[in-house]
Amino acid sequence: MISPDRQQRIAALRDTIADIERKPALAEARARVEEDGRFPMLAGGLLQEVFTDDRRNAGASLGFALGQLRGLLSDQRIAVIYLQLADEAQKLGMPYGPGFKHFGLDPSAMILVRPANMAELLWAAEEAIACQAVAGVVADIAGHQKLLDFTASRRLSLRAAEAGSSVFVLRYGTQRQTSAAQLRWHLMPTRSGRKQFDDRAPGPARWKVRLERGSLIKQHAEWVLGWTENGFSNFTSRTDQSIRPAAPLSRAVPEHLAHRLSQAG
Amino acid sequence: MLFLSTWPTDYLKRADPALAGPLALYEKIKGGLRIVAFDSEAAQAGIMLGQTLVNARALVPTLTAREINWPLLEAGFADFADWHSNASPMVAVLDDVSRFGDLVLDITGVDHLFGGERAMLRLLLTRLRLLGYSVTGAIAPTIGAAWAASHFLSSRVIEAEELVPLLNALPVSALRLNEQQVATLTQMGLKTIGQLRQRPRKPLQARFGLSLLTRLDQAYGLIEERMAPRLPVAEHHVERRFADPIGLMDDVLACAHDLAIQLAYRLEADGKGAQAFHLFLYRVDHKVMSLSVNSARVTRDPHHITQLFVHRAERLSGDYDAGFGIDMIRLAASSLDMLEPSQLGAFSGDDGTQDLDQLNDRMASRLGAMAVLRTQMVASHMPERSARLVPTQGGKPAVAAPRLFTRPVRLLPVPEYVAISAEVPDGLPALMIWRRQQYRLVKGAGPERLEEEWWRFAERLELVPPPEPKQPEPGEKLEPPPYIPELPLHEPDQKVRDYYRVEDEDGRRFWLFRLGFYGGPAMPTWYLHGFFS
Repeated sequence: MISPDRQQRIAALRDTIADIERKPALAEARARVEEDGRFPMLAGGLLQEVFTDDRRNAGASLGFALGQLRGLLSDQRIAVIYLQLADEAQKLGMPYGPGFKHFGLDPSAMILVRPANMAELLWAAEEAIACQAVAGVVADIAGHQKLLDFTASRRLSLRAAEAGSSVFVLRYGTQRQTSAAQLRWHLMPTRSGRKQFDDRAPGPARWKVRLERGSLIKQHAEWVLGWTENGFSNFTSRTDQSIRPAAPLSRAVPEHLAHRLSQAG
Repeated sequence: MLFLSTWPTDYLKRADPALAGPLALYEKIKGGLRIVAFDSEAAQAGIMLGQTLVNARALVPTLTAREINWPLLEAGFADFADWHSNASPMVAVLDDVSRFGDLVLDITGVDHLFGGERAMLRLLLTRLRLLGYSVTGAIAPTIGAAWAASHFLSSRVIEAEELVPLLNALPVSALRLNEQQVATLTQMGLKTIGQLRQRPRKPLQARFGLSLLTRLDQAYGLIEERMAPRLPVAEHHVERRFADPIGLMDDVLACAHDLAIQLAYRLEADGKGAQAFHLFLYRVDHKVMSLSVNSARVTRDPHHITQLFVHRAERLSGDYDAGFGIDMIRLAASSLDMLEPSQLGAFSGDDGTQDLDQLNDRMASRLGAMAVLRTQMVASHMPERSARLVPTQGGKPAVAAPRLFTRPVRLLPVPEYVAISAEVPDGLPALMIWRRQQYRLVKGAGPERLEEEWWRFAERLELVPPPEPKQPEPGEKLEPPPYIPELPLHEPDQKVRDYYRVEDEDGRRFWLFRLGFYGGPAMPTWYLHGFFS
């Protein structure tokens, strides 16, 4: 007779094994998140959708993808393929090489592909995923596309899992299409950090990401991420008012706090 | 040399079998309808070039007259000429006398494929005559002699030793001269080329210009006459002819694969590879279709070449039309370069660039070369110029030193107009209206001033005003005034951009610029140029 506690543990282990067999990258990331609650460095082979509410946030979602891609580039995987429909350049803006330096990417490592229609874009995405030298594919799709249905995303995700390169589908708007993406993020830009020596200037980029889909972890699905030269930095969510971002008291002790201290003393 | 004297009418008759009887084509010249082309029946009836249509109709009541359609005929003759490259790769149209009718084929090293020069000429002529074209042809050591023989004699092969007597006996108009020159020569009493050749050359040149002597020397082979082939001549090509014409694209591609393997063997034997491959499909009905693909790196891998053609073919599936079938396929390689034989397999040090280049080739062959781009850094401060997008197939980009300024991750191809209000005119922008939405800007940094690159617009930069011209003192030498190029003066204030990085209350970060200054002659305008991450 096996005790229920034991049964549960065995079931959990079985789940883990199944996960490892199906999505090793995801299982690893889940283990990490459960360990320390920080945003994990996701390995290759995943299809990720990054939704943001409006096209105005296009810069933020590209930044989030670039941040993840930096860790995926290696000596064997040397390129990033960026796909955008040729007529959507003015809506979203085109990736600009000199800005990649901040993300530690070489501008010439990115190849921009501008297909004329969605069918060609999906074809190019599949070709690019299958290539051994590609670290990641970023598909930037401004509008609602009928062709990008469950079948198409399933094909992309299977190919990505097989070849080991990541796919980031950047989408805009509040409407969601069914998809086979392993992870679906909802991204919001938030106020930037403090710029050194200049309080009025925009500082390092920060985004609020919420995991909408994908079982990275049940309890913790929202992060406030910042980007530094060395990778993502985690901040506690702003909505969670109980713990403020740990800002060191670098200057003099604030006035009202000083009053309270003196009363206590 | 092939001469098709009545090509326009033959072509029309072939296209429309209902056309019969004497046929003439007319054009409106100087207010009158004049005959510009006619067929052999009309010629027998006495119709001449330049005759008015009314006169021609009076002469031949049964005459069918059509207005000439130059673009259609020219396109038809171009296809017709290209199709002849199935006999010899170098085909040119001689259009200095008439717009169509004269085809030149360079058959050096080709005739043995057809069993000698005579057999080749017979084959070329009979196959055209069977199609209903009236044609005469001649094979001669020089282009001039072949032209003369095909226009003034019957079809024949002229050997090198009989060239001079044959040319000497022909009239001067066989030299491809213009009408004025021929008329003057006739007035001088020079009827044959032989007589002309005995005249002293200096007076001839003074009277007729260099062109007469050039034509004369070219005909006798004293100086070389170059022809301009219509299709590029490939150093390496392989071809296959079919007894029965084929039509399906799949068959064509399967054949292309076989040809690519053959081509790879040839290139390998020479230690070479190529960057551009062209597939020529010769249709039965005198048309040539060509498909070209490019490769980013020198290659001779047949699998890769075939793949590129497959992707290219998928792209044009709608435009593909085999007509009545394809009876010959030729695969040619150009842009050749040395390619050392390398061992493939387990021990090759593959760093992924080859895979990537092949991926780029595949994408470019299907999506078009201008759809697959890579960033190239240019030494310029202007944001839209400093990162140029170049096709990946254009070779490796030169790496310029990156700059240390903060730059956005996205740039709009065309900056968009925005309305900005600020607390003080030169302060940080506080409110922005873009695409009819309002943004309250809470953070900002700037300006970063970028001046227009005056040297690119043929403008003159004047940093210090030129010195006043001095009155020369007596006894002193006059100094030449400083050189000032005649270019418009560069006005720096008009095109200065002040860039600002701003952030709105929701955390979106934009890159704005202001064109011009407050307090200048015109109000400055604001534009949104990029997005930060």
